Amino acid sequence: MKYTINQISNGEDEVIVNYRTMNPEVERIVHFIKREQLRLVGWKEKEQKVIDTKNILYIETVDGKTFAYTKDNVLKLEYTLTQVEQLLNDINFFRCSKSMIINIDKVDSLKSLPSNRIDAKMVNGEHIIISRTYASEFRRILRKGAQHG
Amino acid sequence: MDKSNKKKLSGFERYLIEEIGVEFKACLYFFCILFFYSVYKLVGGSFHANIIYMAEMILLTYAMCYVQIYLLKGFDEGEHFGWKEFFFTMLCGGIYTYVSWLGGWFDQNTGVTAGFFLYVVFFYFCGFLVYKMKRNLDAKMLNDDLKAFQERRIKNE
Repeated sequence: MKYTINQISNGEDEVIVNYRTMNPEVERIVHFIKREQLRLVGWKEKEQKVIDTKNILYIETVDGKTFAYTKDNVLKLEYTLTQVEQLLNDINFFRCSKSMIINIDKVDSLKSLPSNRIDAKMVNGEHIIISRTYASEFRRILRKGAQHG
Repeated sequence: MDKSNKKKLSGFERYLIEEIGVEFKACLYFFCILFFYSVYKLVGGSFHANIIYMAEMILLTYAMCYVQIYLLKGFDEGEHFGWKEFFFTMLCGGIYTYVSWLGGWFDQNTGVTAGFFLYVVFFYFCGFLVYKMKRNLDAKMLNDDLKAFQERRIKNE
């Protein structure tokens, strides 16, 4: 694939992808750009903050409010969990229970529990239970992702 | 991850998974009981098994598996074998032994029935170890897949 990099003196940084047919290589590049661009806006004590989705460990709904948890921050989001799930559709987030979405990249290790549930230990040491309703799909995604990326 | 790939299990699929689990376990326990019964018959010099007893055994194990899962919270697949699991093992062992006595599986022989109780307790404990081992192997596979998934993504980026 041919590529061109131009340094510009003014104007906004921009990436243009020209392709004839979508193929895995182009898909990967588009996916990478989407992922790099994706930010969520949240609130922490009346202060608005922008979080990079890469830094989110998990997103949870408590009493109808949605919170995003990073290693050192908890931010209240203006979206419902379903909206967040749709926004993060293309990247490594997985709906692991009715009230939670986890970032698979931030899972440190997994443990198999009775009744086909999975205990996901996050990089900050927290444990999140993937309910049996979602566990089979989680296994499938991991296997598929491990094989095909 | 494509959204079309994401789907949670339907109620029927969940029921099916549960039912297969119950039946698998019921068969496992049934064969353990059948083994004891067969040995008892062989030691007694008989090569004939009573088909009614076998039907009672499979029905009992099937019912007991439901009891274990829904009333006793799947204690035989528990994380640890503590006092609660020990008590439930004794309880289930007691029920199996009582039914075997009522049904006359071992001709109401006290010694054999007592031996059957110990045997049931033993196979419950073995079952607990088997499930624990199965989960450990499953966890290893899960972690291998997780690492491969994460490494693959890093490589792609």
